[in-house]
Amino acid sequence: MNLASYRKKSPWILHYNAGGCNGCDIEILACLGPKYDIERFGMINTGNPKQSDILLVTGPVTKRSRERLVEIYAQMPEPKVVVSCGACACTGGVFRGMYNCEGGVDQYIPVDVYVCGCGTRPEQIIDGVVQALGILEQKTKAMEVSVRLQKEPLKEEGQINRRNIADQIKPALS
Amino acid sequence: MGRQYEIPIGAQHISLLEPLHFKFTTENEKIVATEANVYYVHRGIEQACCSKFKFRQVSFVVGRVCGLCSISHTTAYSQVAEKLLKIEIPLRAKYLRMLVIELDRIHSHLLCLSHVAENSGFEALFMKTMQYREFSMELLEAVCGNRIQYDFSIVGGVARDLKPQVAQSILERLKKFIPQLDELMDIYKNNWTLSLKNKGAGAITKEDAMRLNVVGPFARAAGLAIDVRNETEDLLPWKQVGFEMITETSGDVYARNMVRLRELYVSIRIIENIINGLPESALITETKAFPDGEATVRLEAPRGELFYYAKGNKTQILERLKIKAPTFSNVAAMAEAFTGNEYGSAPAIIASYDPCLSCTAR
Repeated sequence: MNLASYRKKSPWILHYNAGGCNGCDIEILACLGPKYDIERFGMINTGNPKQSDILLVTGPVTKRSRERLVEIYAQMPEPKVVVSCGACACTGGVFRGMYNCEGGVDQYIPVDVYVCGCGTRPEQIIDGVVQALGILEQKTKAMEVSVRLQKEPLKEEGQINRRNIADQIKPALS
Repeated sequence: MGRQYEIPIGAQHISLLEPLHFKFTTENEKIVATEANVYYVHRGIEQACCSKFKFRQVSFVVGRVCGLCSISHTTAYSQVAEKLLKIEIPLRAKYLRMLVIELDRIHSHLLCLSHVAENSGFEALFMKTMQYREFSMELLEAVCGNRIQYDFSIVGGVARDLKPQVAQSILERLKKFIPQLDELMDIYKNNWTLSLKNKGAGAITKEDAMRLNVVGPFARAAGLAIDVRNETEDLLPWKQVGFEMITETSGDVYARNMVRLRELYVSIRIIENIINGLPESALITETKAFPDGEATVRLEAPRGELFYYAKGNKTQILERLKIKAPTFSNVAAMAEAFTGNEYGSAPAIIASYDPCLSCTAR
């Protein structure tokens, strides 16, 4: 088992409300509860962007929360997947065109899975997150390929070859 | 005099459902001053309701102000629009509105209680409360057709009728829920570990609550008997269906938990009375009039008093709509009640306020 397979078995979720009505947020909370129980997929809700794999965003992006949204997305490590929950996160919904709203999350950060509905049902959220798991696996594989191709470390460009890094460090330590 | 540190919580934090920013000034782990910053979710709904949407569509838009108490918003707007149209709605529609408001109160209070338990570090009680809460979501889905965002009240009446088999299932599920509620009451009241986090935390006195205009369970926990259901009879007949005022005296997190749990018993009794004595009549009053004049409406949402003001000018589009949400009244007291508490109990205190910022910021 390496890190990639752990990531597939136990993705960690980060939840951010970018100005929604709380409806989808309480459904996400209901998903964590015993009836829907997304912990059976190994998912756990974390408050730290630096430990998370999946970002669940709800709400049309208000002008005040958009910087926080982009910053949270930038702090998450690769590979990462964004799931937009609810009609207003996908397109702006009923709030589209209001003076303090942007039309949806995908105007600021790339969205991988769109979950529709107002409000989103917990079954739909679970379906969307399970789809996100597949995308997370693809992204993990794509990252590994690029590392394998670089057999020699490209020192002049400042890149590090991750494959034999332990062997390089070991003589230095002993 | 120790050294003072500033610790922020939010806008994104695991203990917060929605963006909210508190900046605590602490001295030896004790909070000495708090700065609250709540307007992250301002969307401009009031302006859109007065320019973009027709007055019959607005009841669906204001439901999206808040997902937790959407029925309170739609009902309050419907009532204010009916005052502008000068129509009286059928009696059955009034009773059905009260039924859904009380079901919504059950789910909202249980959500708040579970959130307090989670933020106090009692994960198992969070799971238990969420498990017992699911029945209210299922009943709301059976009555209204959606788990959240019911769109049940419309201008002139209600959108759906209550089917006899649904009414029967509500009574059966409530009967099953009462022993579960007794169990929750026992844990929240007598659990020693929880009492360490909750008793005495975030306390506010009756005088302070009066001075800072606190409303809802927050005020009733401090001993202020404030409830719109006790005051107005003309729009919804609360006293006919067995409303009873619940107050506590200590004003801390524990007292707020107790107020919410005891209000659940009242809500259950109200729902049973409504279903047993539901009058037969039409569901909606049709009219072709346009809103004219000014009107205000007050309604008791799960978090306190909700206030609507509307002004019409005989056209399809309203001239002004003003929403004052319960949390807006409570923000000043929320910042005040932190003073003197440990920083570690701040998340539990925030959850016990049951803040709804999408209501506040609109």
